[in-house]
Amino acid sequence: MAFYASRIIQILPYFLKGLLMTIEVSGISLILSTVLGFVLGILRTADSKLITRSIGVYVDVMRGTPFVVQVFIVFFILPSWGLQLEPLPAAILALTAMTAAFICEVVSGGIKAVPKGQWEAAAASGLTRMQQLRLVILPQSMQTILPPLVGQYVLMIKDSSVVSVIGVTELTRVGWQTVVRIPEGLMVFTLVGILYFVICYPLIRLSNYLEHRLSLQTVKL
Amino acid sequence: MIVFKNVHKWFGKLHVLNDINLHVRSGEVVVICGPSGSGKSTLIRCINRLEKFQQGELYVDGQALHDHSINLTKLRADIGFVFQQFHLYPHMTALQNVTLAPVNVRKIDKKEAVALGREKLARVGLADKAEAYPAQLSGGQQQRVAIARGLAMNPKIMLFDEPTSALDPEMIGEVLDVMVQLAGEGMTMCVVTHEMGFARQVAHRVIFMDAGQLVEKGAPDEFFDHPKTDRAAQFISKILTH
Amino acid sequence: MLINFNFRVIWEYMPLFLEGLRNTFLISIVSLILALMVGILACAARLSRWKLLRAVSIVYIESIRSTPLLVQIYFFYFGLPTLGLRVPELETGIIALMLNSGAYIAEIVRAGITSVPNGQIEAGISSGLSYTQRMRFIVLPQALGVTVPPLLGQAIVLVKDSALLSLISVLELTRCGQELTSERFMPAEGFLTVAVLYLCIYYCLKPLAGWSQKKLIFREEY
Ligand SMILES: Nc1ncnc2c1ncn2[C@@H]1O[C@H](COP(=O)(O)OP(=O)(O)O)[C@@H](O)[C@H]1O
Ligand SMILES: [Mg+2]
Repeated sequence: MAFYASRIIQILPYFLKGLLMTIEVSGISLILSTVLGFVLGILRTADSKLITRSIGVYVDVMRGTPFVVQVFIVFFILPSWGLQLEPLPAAILALTAMTAAFICEVVSGGIKAVPKGQWEAAAASGLTRMQQLRLVILPQSMQTILPPLVGQYVLMIKDSSVVSVIGVTELTRVGWQTVVRIPEGLMVFTLVGILYFVICYPLIRLSNYLEHRLSLQTVKL
Repeated sequence: MIVFKNVHKWFGKLHVLNDINLHVRSGEVVVICGPSGSGKSTLIRCINRLEKFQQGELYVDGQALHDHSINLTKLRADIGFVFQQFHLYPHMTALQNVTLAPVNVRKIDKKEAVALGREKLARVGLADKAEAYPAQLSGGQQQRVAIARGLAMNPKIMLFDEPTSALDPEMIGEVLDVMVQLAGEGMTMCVVTHEMGFARQVAHRVIFMDAGQLVEKGAPDEFFDHPKTDRAAQFISKILTH
Repeated sequence: MLINFNFRVIWEYMPLFLEGLRNTFLISIVSLILALMVGILACAARLSRWKLLRAVSIVYIESIRSTPLLVQIYFFYFGLPTLGLRVPELETGIIALMLNSGAYIAEIVRAGITSVPNGQIEAGISSGLSYTQRMRFIVLPQALGVTVPPLLGQAIVLVKDSALLSLISVLELTRCGQELTSERFMPAEGFLTVAVLYLCIYYCLKPLAGWSQKKLIFREEY
């Protein structure tokens, strides 16, 4: 046990490199999925039935299938359609596609929660539809959007562990590689768990705090 | 029936009830008014022990509330309480709301309770709404169901905490009518309200509270027409002009 | 691409897919029932008067929510043997799913109980109802209504989560796609079929969740 503990300390740098890779994959996907998710979320509240329905189907497909299946589809099937991706871009594509769908729901929910009168008041003062959205609606809905948005980021960071199956050397994969050589499963995956905890727990607290702040404001209204 | 003797209560540092002395006789209707935050709700919530107090003595129907060994269930069963926000149970019909406590606290027979519940609902003019859920009723109707819920326990005392403040103006009358009728039948009532018409019509006494103190008490006409203190005069002019 | 999509292979493997589907179904149901028990216990501990019990429950809930399910699965898969426990893959997976969903369910139940407005409880107190009567007639019926929709949501999540058991070689739906890939190298046929079958489960549960949202949640209206 003590022997293994010292070996784990020796290989700690690999875990930190894995952690960095986790942060890199999630960080890039976070930015891309936020942009895509907001665009889709705004379009979801559009008047065109065609647009809202197609986005709805996309969201359902992403929510209705396991992420690991999505990862396999991106990595194994896209190549046969002529899109060969390295593990890292494939991982980012899969994470972005899924998280954007969830963020889309969060954003459209936040926009729909703003009372209709706000749109009407903004329209009455002569703002264009884009201006109504940008200057009046979005700033108000940001408060409702923010807590679940941070929650989605946490889910995404955790889901990024799944891309280890296509060979991205992030934290979980490092743990897996280690446990094959050092048969101390409890210790290795406790360490991996702690490293995830260090990133995710503060974000969960942030999300809770934002929600608490929001509930205080709604009470005052 | 209700006797406050030098009652004090603090919320942390805030002195919400400051040396309250009050004697409500059986069959008396007392209206309590005063600015928001003056401690009116706290005062009547002490009567059924929704709030505790730290100092003084309070007797309700012969029971000493400052004595911690009293039977609270018995006390509360004999006191009806009507909230500003109704607090009807949203998952139960009007009739179920009214019969819940008679069946489970008074342990009376289900059939009997239903008959009792229908009678009380009829009394507040809602015989036809027995099967309706609270969400299907207007504010005024909900508050009348809440009154029927209190009456179903055949209470000795009815307490009302701003029963009409959450209502649209056109619904206030229907609730006050029920309360006027109740007063006429000799029910002991403590009512926190700013409805001056109601106070003049049925109250035996009006009590004015400010900053936790019981500042003035008197007959309604005298209190509203010739208040003795400046604080009361100011308050009356405000509710007159609003 | 659909032109060279090999439907014959899908047909040939259909018995395997159906077995996988059945296993996914069973794993999810069993894990959900176990997770409900764990969740209710953890929630009771979370709301308990004893500090130690509260602390244990908080540590459990927060550490589950802050780490990936896959890591939890590996923790048990590689960890139990180091403790000298030989637990088969399927049971290992169900333990991980149970503990994972249990933590989320604990929070769902807690949110349900705390969502019942204080005025409701005061109304119960005022008519002389005892603590157990208030719980039984007022708090729990309303909490249940608030709890069912997110619980159905958690059931959907659980079905998807069970896909990760394929990575410790439990034969469930996703594993079938992997078999088709490794035996015939036909990932498209394998994983797209798997995806469609998951979508079928999803589209069965989703309307149920929506219905319960409309039917079971009672709100006080002023
Ligand atoms: N549970 C409580 N904790 C702390 N302060 C309270 C609480 N309830 C009421 N207060 C404070 O006590 C004062 C009197 O409240 P209340 O009796 O509700 O006044 P009123 O009914 O006359 O408007 C207010 O300043 C209020 O903020
Ligand atoms: Mg008040």
